[in-house]
Amino acid sequence: MVSVVLPSLLAAQAGGRKQFDVDAATVGLALRALPVADLIFDGSAGLRPLVNVYLDGADVRGMDGLATPVSGGQTVRVVAAVAGG
Amino acid sequence: MASTLLVGTKKGLFVVGDEGVAGPLLPGWEIYHAVAVDGVVYVAANNFVYGATVQRSADGGSTWERSDPIEGLDKAWHIEPAGDGVLYLGGDPGCLFRSDDAGRTWQPNEALANHPTRGSWHPGAGGLCCHSIQVTPDALYVAISAAGAFRSDDDGETWMPINRGIAADFLPDESPEVGHCVHKLLAHPGRPGRLWQQNHCGTYRSDDRGDTWKRLDPNGLPSDFGFGIALDPADPDAAYVIPEQGAEYRVTTEGRLAVWQTRDGGASWSPEADGLPDPAWTGVLRDAMCFDAGGVYFGTQSGSVFSTGRGGDWRELASQLPPVCSVSAAEL
Repeated sequence: MVSVVLPSLLAAQAGGRKQFDVDAATVGLALRALPVADLIFDGSAGLRPLVNVYLDGADVRGMDGLATPVSGGQTVRVVAAVAGG
Repeated sequence: MASTLLVGTKKGLFVVGDEGVAGPLLPGWEIYHAVAVDGVVYVAANNFVYGATVQRSADGGSTWERSDPIEGLDKAWHIEPAGDGVLYLGGDPGCLFRSDDAGRTWQPNEALANHPTRGSWHPGAGGLCCHSIQVTPDALYVAISAAGAFRSDDDGETWMPINRGIAADFLPDESPEVGHCVHKLLAHPGRPGRLWQQNHCGTYRSDDRGDTWKRLDPNGLPSDFGFGIALDPADPDAAYVIPEQGAEYRVTTEGRLAVWQTRDGGASWSPEADGLPDPAWTGVLRDAMCFDAGGVYFGTQSGSVFSTGRGGDWRELASQLPPVCSVSAAEL
């Protein structure tokens, strides 16, 4: 199982749950399993521009993005990008 | 006052009632508009990270359910009930959606999306937003900034621009077919064919379903610019506007916050300001004004909500809220 941790605003949209344990082979599939997947992905199935995703603390954009493999015990963390003033 | 006001703000939804102010509900979401239908609250909720949504609550805001993703919607602006579980949604980019299942799923209006004049539509300061939707027994109306007003006589199958006589002094051709910056369009529920609009370039009334328009400013109004307009369902000759000091300023004229009223179809206007702060350098957005049995209600970008009864002084119902985007009377 992979743990996915959500920021507070997304957790509120997920019924108040901040963490989900999912069976998934990649970061993208782990995020797709969430009840807030529509808020994380844009219409072209890519991450929304201001959504960052980290696997065990490392930005997945520096790995294979949504195709990055995941394995049991790892943590995927969704973080809203710092933007604006 | 109305039993409840739904107040959409830049930082969530607030509920203002006899017992005070509750909220924010949906904190962190920009609530461009909220409306209640048979006790169910629908909100046009936007977030700069997570996008545009429509959300509904059947328990007074304790829990919320998002609509299925709405493809092609960049911002949700306005939700208009049409009865029998039908809702319309207007948004950016100049788009209209219809739901036949009480807001769970939405279908785009293809005729408006592919309108032959679309190449001449341009986004205003708020984007290319479809912000006004009016459902009448014989026609459907939408207004888009900056495209203008459109009427459909066949339930949305085709759309006809209805902008003849509306000024567009920011365009080289001052009498184009489309490209007008309408700020709010309302149909009077008791006078078939009567429309009112507050525009970037004036205040107008039509008595023939938008085929022609009569300009109603100045006639006592201090400015031709403003956003909201409110109508009294019991009096088709009555309307209320809040003028602002022109497009370059977008604040109350000379810092004077007042609701200007006509009771003669726009032939004359007079201010109602007793009880309002003076001066008040603020603005009122296009959906932040409504009329209900108790009178006019409006909310400011300074976070205050005011109401009055007919002929009564203004009363501040809420203050220190985030900037107000919308005010709607509701039965919950």
